[in-house]
Amino acid sequence: MGDYREVQAGSKPFKRAYIAVMLWFVGRAIQAAARVDKAVREEFEKLPEGFTFSLGVQPHGPYMIVGKNQKGRVKYLGWKPESKVVDLRMAIKNIEAALLLFTFQESTAISICRDRIDFDGDLPPALTVIRAIGIVEVYLLPKLISKLAIKRYPVWSFGRKYLGRIRIYFHSILGY
Amino acid sequence: MRIQDYYEFIARVRIVSGHDVLEKIPDELKKIGATKPLIVTDKGVSGVGLVDVLKNALGEKITIAKIVDDVPQDSDIRIVQRLAKEYREVGCDCLIALGGGSVLDTAKGINIMVSEGVNDLMKFTGKGVVKKALKPLIAIPTTAGTGSEMTQAAVIEDHEKKLKKLFVSPFISPDIAVLDSRMTLTLPTAITAATAMDAMAHAVEAYTCLGKNPMSDTCALTAIKLIRENLLTVMKSPDDKNGRLALANAATLAGMAFSNSLPGVVHSLGHSVGSVCGVPHGVCMAILLPYGLEYNLHKNEQLTAELLLPLGGEEEFVKTPKHLRAERTIYFIRKLNQDLHDVSDHRHARFFKEVLDREGKRMVPRERLPEIAQAALGDGTVIYNPEDLDLDDFLMIIEASWEGVPLDRSRIKKG
Ligand SMILES: [Fe+2]
Repeated sequence: MGDYREVQAGSKPFKRAYIAVMLWFVGRAIQAAARVDKAVREEFEKLPEGFTFSLGVQPHGPYMIVGKNQKGRVKYLGWKPESKVVDLRMAIKNIEAALLLFTFQESTAISICRDRIDFDGDLPPALTVIRAIGIVEVYLLPKLISKLAIKRYPVWSFGRKYLGRIRIYFHSILGY
Repeated sequence: MRIQDYYEFIARVRIVSGHDVLEKIPDELKKIGATKPLIVTDKGVSGVGLVDVLKNALGEKITIAKIVDDVPQDSDIRIVQRLAKEYREVGCDCLIALGGGSVLDTAKGINIMVSEGVNDLMKFTGKGVVKKALKPLIAIPTTAGTGSEMTQAAVIEDHEKKLKKLFVSPFISPDIAVLDSRMTLTLPTAITAATAMDAMAHAVEAYTCLGKNPMSDTCALTAIKLIRENLLTVMKSPDDKNGRLALANAATLAGMAFSNSLPGVVHSLGHSVGSVCGVPHGVCMAILLPYGLEYNLHKNEQLTAELLLPLGGEEEFVKTPKHLRAERTIYFIRKLNQDLHDVSDHRHARFFKEVLDREGKRMVPRERLPEIAQAALGDGTVIYNPEDLDLDDFLMIIEASWEGVPLDRSRIKKG
């Protein structure tokens, strides 16, 4: 992958780098979870073929883009939204707001309630994506932390939670 | 009492409230330098003679440029476009919206078009797209419920393309809301009950959902108190002018509350019952409100308990032990529905099974409940609800509210 994460110089590079890594990992984990987890797969099945969404920080990024290809596979599509047609844009208003969200000081719902995220696109798919991200957070994070990110910590079987977690980490790191 | 780390609140509407305040409108228009209003209303409103009351009140002082009374039940893009054209042709310089939610949405839509000088309203869909002050808009609500006179949003439908578009901006809200008791005096009791319960739902959800803040709380509590003190008396004596005015004020206060603290599950499901089966919004709100409180109870015990004071009164609040207050609040909402059912000759429905159309047919067939639950998943208000909801949760609530049985608390997933 000739790609590397570009960090805008001069403006809070460490915060930006942290968010960039988080977005990159969440993006790949969504791709992995769509293969591994039935609930995430079903959420994405509701979206039309070719549906693409981005999540990022205004005004200079970082971003992540995830989309469904023609075969219905969910793919992490990188971090450059400029070159892509995006159906749903979710843009956190500034880097501080992104930090509140990605350090789990604010749940996704509270962030939205406080009007920290701009949505550009239809609402039902946005809610679908938010639900999918919620499930991914349960996989990626220890209970103590993911409880801060979502409203209700789910009751999952041992297999779904722990084996699923291992598989999702494995796929996310290897990127397939 | 815990204060939120962060919130925003806006209420930029001037309110004129009283028994004969339509007469103030010419002066109000003068203050803002407008002289030729387009009056937007619907056939129902003009049919009961409210347009004449307004015309008499305006008297000779201002020239009404035009009156249009063909706004449909649901706002429609084509009507908005046509009326914007008429506004321009007649050379109006302000708008008076006389009616309920749909009339007001239509007027807001017209206002965007004529102020921005465009022929395509859909350019302005979404949040914050309207960025400048619009033409003066005066809202005169003829139902005490929707609270749209206070909101910064308009919903305009494109029935041909089956789209429902939302417009949100602080500039969209009316400049003046005129609450005149004469405007709701003739409202049939069943509609009075349903619309008041819509206002009740706005207040209760604003107080118990995630966007709550001290400003919206204050509005919500007063709104609930006014409804409790006046709704049943107005149902029994519909000519009670003071009671009518109190309900109109409650609806406006509740509107101020919920436009700054958006509602949750009661509205998510209510919207989808409305769109799938066409049940009037207020009817859905009355039925669903106790269920919303029940569902969220484990997250909201304290807040729900606090509602007992405005809902049950001081004596009730004091005599109920602390740990029973939340349950008592839910009981009072159910009791209010039952009382409304009794005083309305059973026309106020307590559960969806009971909702009938004009021919006496069931409006919500049981087999459509899964479709309703599915639609609710795509409603934006889900975000503001304190507890999460998946398809099964929505289905559980809609099934119980159809049947008229309390929620099976053991089935509520608590995480
Ligand atoms: Fe409502």
